[in-house]
Amino acid sequence: MAETLLDIAMMHSDTLIVRAKQGDQGAQGKLVQLWYKRIYNFCYKFFLDHDMAMEASQKTFISMCRSLSSLQDNARFKSWLYKIAVNYCREEARKKKGSRSLSFDVVWNQDAEDSPQWEQTSRRYDSPERQYQQAELSDLLQGALLELNEEQREVVIMKEYEGLKFREIAEVLNISENTVKSRMYYGLDGLKKILERKNITKDTIDYEL
Amino acid sequence: MSYKPDQQAWMDFLYGELEGAEKERMENYLSTNAEARQEFENFKQLRSMLGSVKDKEVIAPPIFVGDGKQRFFWNTPYVKTIVSIAASLLLIMVAGKLLDIRISSGGNEFRISFGAPAVTQPVQVTPASTLTAEQVQAMIQSSLSDNNLAMQASWKESQQKLDASIKNNLAQNSGKIDQLVKQASTASQQQISQYVSGLQEENLKLVKDYFSLTSNQQKDYIENLLVDFAKYLQQQRNDDLQIVQTRMSSLEQNTKEFKQETEQILTSIITTVGTTPSKETKY
Repeated sequence: MAETLLDIAMMHSDTLIVRAKQGDQGAQGKLVQLWYKRIYNFCYKFFLDHDMAMEASQKTFISMCRSLSSLQDNARFKSWLYKIAVNYCREEARKKKGSRSLSFDVVWNQDAEDSPQWEQTSRRYDSPERQYQQAELSDLLQGALLELNEEQREVVIMKEYEGLKFREIAEVLNISENTVKSRMYYGLDGLKKILERKNITKDTIDYEL
Repeated sequence: MSYKPDQQAWMDFLYGELEGAEKERMENYLSTNAEARQEFENFKQLRSMLGSVKDKEVIAPPIFVGDGKQRFFWNTPYVKTIVSIAASLLLIMVAGKLLDIRISSGGNEFRISFGAPAVTQPVQVTPASTLTAEQVQAMIQSSLSDNNLAMQASWKESQQKLDASIKNNLAQNSGKIDQLVKQASTASQQQISQYVSGLQEENLKLVKDYFSLTSNQQKDYIENLLVDFAKYLQQQRNDDLQIVQTRMSSLEQNTKEFKQETEQILTSIITTVGTTPSKETKY
């Protein structure tokens, strides 16, 4: 019930956006409250890391409050906000590149699979606690998501978890709708293969649940 | 049967964004193609698996965005530059004080020295001839007296010039005035007599004209008045006659009415006398 109320509030946040644009700090605070969970979850699925997700989300909302006045069309607030979030996610990912994760392209390479680099990337999950967490289904799925390349991952998260339309994703990423759909197709296809490789099927999920 | 959906159509159909004829074609394609149906099922399964990932609950931290535009005055660039200049000056002054720098210029030389400059013995210059105070005073007095004399001479000269010019002017002006007065007196006697006679004639004419005009006007006026009065009298008489006539006619009317009334009364009396049995007949 709380979810639906939140969703309704997000859909009807026009007056809030107008007030926030005029510099009403209360309205800005409410907008942050409304959208924080969505943006955080987007960032979390992008990084699979709470700290980085928090960092990117906070930067997104600080940037939102600062540059809200430059938003031309209030109806495009959602795609505008996700655009900021995507940019910060990419920035954070660039900063941590090499130490955090590898793109699916590298991972899926059969030769690269046995390489020391692959070993190195999985080292961050070496701790028993982390292994236990990863054993959880949700983490397994999100781990698979993380193995996708950045472009596909963005699209899959925005479509599957954030419920954006293909048109909106195209707006966020500043690419054509057909490109978005292609990335989505390859993203889903890639996920399917990753999950098959990890022996995660519908049956396992049903068993786990 | 040649229809083969592309990736875009697959995605649109999977997320329910395919509409109309395209959707129908896709449905037909799936119903006839087992392989494609299997692929679609796989996609759906994947989606349901992905759907099992729940959102993480998170509490939004308070985000304070400082107003970037607001600046304290000591943060403004002008104040910063002024303060930096002042600080550097102070630094130079302190360094100068500590090093005891002395800068001097004069006598075709510019000198920077650390510490007190070497004192050179001033060369005693004795003036060859000095003037005493009395001499100076005498000189001043003599020049003052010269000056006074020159001034007095110039004053006297200018005064004399002024007097002479005033006298000349007076003599010239008085002569002119006398001539003017003489001309005026000679001209006035004849002119006045002419003027007076002219005036008298004009007056006579005016008075005559006035009287003749007024007498004519009076005559006319009186005539008009008499005529009006006669008219008025006539009118009055006519009015009186009319009034008398109307009175008379009204009198006549009245007497007629009176007659009729008396006749009516008489007839009524007669009729009443006629109808009622009279007892008087007995008598």
